Amino acid sequence: MSRHAALETFGRSGNPVFGEKFSQRQNFAGSQAMSLEGAVNKTGILLALCFGGSFIGWSNPGLIWIGLILGFVAAIYTSFVPRNAHIGAPAYALLEGIALGGISMMFEAQYPGIVIQAIGLTFGILASLLFAYKSGLILPTQNFRLMLFSATAGIALLYLVSFIMSFFGSSIGFIHNNGLFGIGFSLFVVAIAALNLVLDFDFIEQGSEMGLPKYMEWYGAFALMVTLVWLYLEILRLLAKLQSRR
Amino acid sequence: MNTLFFTFIAVLSLYIFFNLGKVRSSQKQRNRADRVKWNKSPWQGQKATQVSEQRDGTKIIDVAAEDVENKSDKA
Repeated sequence: MSRHAALETFGRSGNPVFGEKFSQRQNFAGSQAMSLEGAVNKTGILLALCFGGSFIGWSNPGLIWIGLILGFVAAIYTSFVPRNAHIGAPAYALLEGIALGGISMMFEAQYPGIVIQAIGLTFGILASLLFAYKSGLILPTQNFRLMLFSATAGIALLYLVSFIMSFFGSSIGFIHNNGLFGIGFSLFVVAIAALNLVLDFDFIEQGSEMGLPKYMEWYGAFALMVTLVWLYLEILRLLAKLQSRR
Repeated sequence: MNTLFFTFIAVLSLYIFFNLGKVRSSQKQRNRADRVKWNKSPWQGQKATQVSEQRDGTKIIDVAAEDVENKSDKA
């Protein structure tokens, strides 16, 4: 990439968080720069921590809320302080693993065999989309990102409203029921969560091309981990809805 | 049987991820002008070419900077 093209891509920041991260690209080279291999290896570490945490959560379902709340705090901290992602990302993976272990155990008790199906589908989608991205079958653009951002924000808002309504003994029925509309909604959310993986791949790819600082490997792995956790939970919900119709 | 099948899918997918993830993307993916611009916020979409005319009649074309090869450097 030429110097001008690089400036056009990363130099003129509209977003202070990304602008600050990308503006430091030229200070790092060789072993100090972000690499694809480093980001993939760190994702492996985070996955191992998440699986480790899930064993704790599986045998102690009472820790679900602790895992969820502390995991959320770790995620917020990592998002705003990417320089410390080497601390925040592993903490997030472990805590979220504890929460996922407890949640999975509850689903498994109700629908035996559902957890391994959800794990298989989550990683299957991960590998398929990675292949589609690497081969150029999916070409993410700025408009693709805008579409996903809008859809993800809409879903988050809907979940937030539903969560608040639950305190008053009410909820948005169609997002939780097992009717055709509920299943269709779950399918839509799974699709949006899956497409977010493509953006994560692109962030890691472009970051390594531009030689971002090494700690951004942890940040890229963290972003991938957040999407995987969301995707796994949505697949679990979708499968539960499908099985409850039998 | 069900468990075995999904375990196999999970293991195979992880194997693919850890190998394919370390490989650079295709040229088709990397060499294009409309890639995601991570320094910009999501709602700053693809920038269209803007042409503005000055009072003296000259036109200013606002487009993305392009690579300009200087042939004399190669010699």
